[in-house]
Amino acid sequence: MRFRGWLLAGLLLIAGGARADHMLMARVPMKADIAVEYLKTSIEEHGYAVAHVQMCDSGMKGFGFKSDTYRVVFFGKIDEVRRIVAAHPEFSAYLPLKIAVVAERGETVLSAINPKTFDTYYPKDKAMRVQFGRWHNDIRSMFHDVDQAARAKAKTSKNAP
Amino acid sequence: MRHTNILIVMLLLLSATQALALPDGRELYIRNCNACHQFQGAGGIGLPLTAKKFRDYSDDYLFKTIRHGRPGRVMPAFMEMSDAQVRAIITFLRQQTKTQARIYATSRLSGDPARGRQLFQTHCVACHGTDGGGQGEGTGVTLSRKRAFLIMPPAISNPGFQAAASDRMIRQVISVGRPQSGMPAFAEQGLSERDIDALVAYVRQLGERAAKKPEVALDEPPSHVTESPYDFETTVANVKQAVVGANFRAFPDRFLEQGLTDEFSVNPRQIGIRFCNFNKLYDMLKIEPRLGVVLPCRITILERPDGQVLLVTPNLKVVAHWFNNDQLVELWDRMEETFTDIIDEVTL
Repeated sequence: MRFRGWLLAGLLLIAGGARADHMLMARVPMKADIAVEYLKTSIEEHGYAVAHVQMCDSGMKGFGFKSDTYRVVFFGKIDEVRRIVAAHPEFSAYLPLKIAVVAERGETVLSAINPKTFDTYYPKDKAMRVQFGRWHNDIRSMFHDVDQAARAKAKTSKNAP
Repeated sequence: MRHTNILIVMLLLLSATQALALPDGRELYIRNCNACHQFQGAGGIGLPLTAKKFRDYSDDYLFKTIRHGRPGRVMPAFMEMSDAQVRAIITFLRQQTKTQARIYATSRLSGDPARGRQLFQTHCVACHGTDGGGQGEGTGVTLSRKRAFLIMPPAISNPGFQAAASDRMIRQVISVGRPQSGMPAFAEQGLSERDIDALVAYVRQLGERAAKKPEVALDEPPSHVTESPYDFETTVANVKQAVVGANFRAFPDRFLEQGLTDEFSVNPRQIGIRFCNFNKLYDMLKIEPRLGVVLPCRITILERPDGQVLLVTPNLKVVAHWFNNDQLVELWDRMEETFTDIIDEVTL
């Protein structure tokens, strides 16, 4: 019986893929089409350029989805992209950065790969790890901005005559 | 000097107060759980957290569930939180659901697993699957899409569930069921206490079997870089041809720097060939709604200053593991092969 407990504990340790921090996520109390606009504003306020917004939802309903909004917002800073691609061409697979925006019952779920996930692959490259840390903080801050905007908007509409 | 001392004392007091302050469960829930479970516990990517379920849960079950998550079933393990933080989330959930913790004896039940196996085949397999891994694609109730089940049946053989749930809690859930998600109360369906204990014993066996296939630690880079034997233009043309040949729809080309700077400054020798197969995409979205963070499929072609042409693709085997979703891992193993075939064809 005790062995079973140890076995489970051991397996849970091995299954390190379940770590919490590979994804950054937030749910904001706001419709997705409006959330995208607030997100774009926040991205720019953080000094990034929005490269483009990809729509992934055409035909979703035809495939049985009731959600009608699925967008991916691509963004980056040209200097960073150039510097990183020159030094680490392999990292171009993950540039520009992306945030997925999904509608869910009148709310919106924002998700991004946690840039700190890449720390493992650059253990000796301090500059890259600093960069990942900065992206991580910026994305969290962007999610916070959209959330605050959603809450402020909800408060205003509640107080509206 | 005196002012400096006062300032130091004040700072020390402030940090001591912060250290002693109890963690805010509501804040922690919003930061860590809300995205998947929703604030009112309606669920989304994660399962709904309803009062009816919480009445049967012990706090120990909730604590271990948060700590260990569900390996391979999306819910991550929150190992970096302190015990106090996990307990604060549980207290918040208890307040939200207006429930009291149920306390179960920790002693094991001694049911007959052979009898349990027979009962499992009759009553449980349709929803929980032969291996107890949960039938159906994906988890939770996300994207409000049509699905076979109201709520995806939990993977009861999952090591996270097995570590969190006590025998007696499993017995309670089997007895009273989950009427709101379609699971009947088996005590009312004619199963005796002995039958239910037998089922618990079999659920434990399923857990041991599932536990025998641990996740393989990945020691691979997150992307593949392949040198093209052709010049930039030929490589681009080859990639486009190969993706269409592999049954994908190619999107208009985008330069890597496009949109990040003005059109005259963009480097035209760095291009992303983007492609998609909508049937495959929607099948994958059913399994993993957060997939957008790596969409669309793309092969990046870079011409280096020395004329060398590189093809860069994400290593899907590695990326799939970041989602903690075994169903996606399985699917992307095959997708990785497709990517490899495309690159082979391009560089042949």
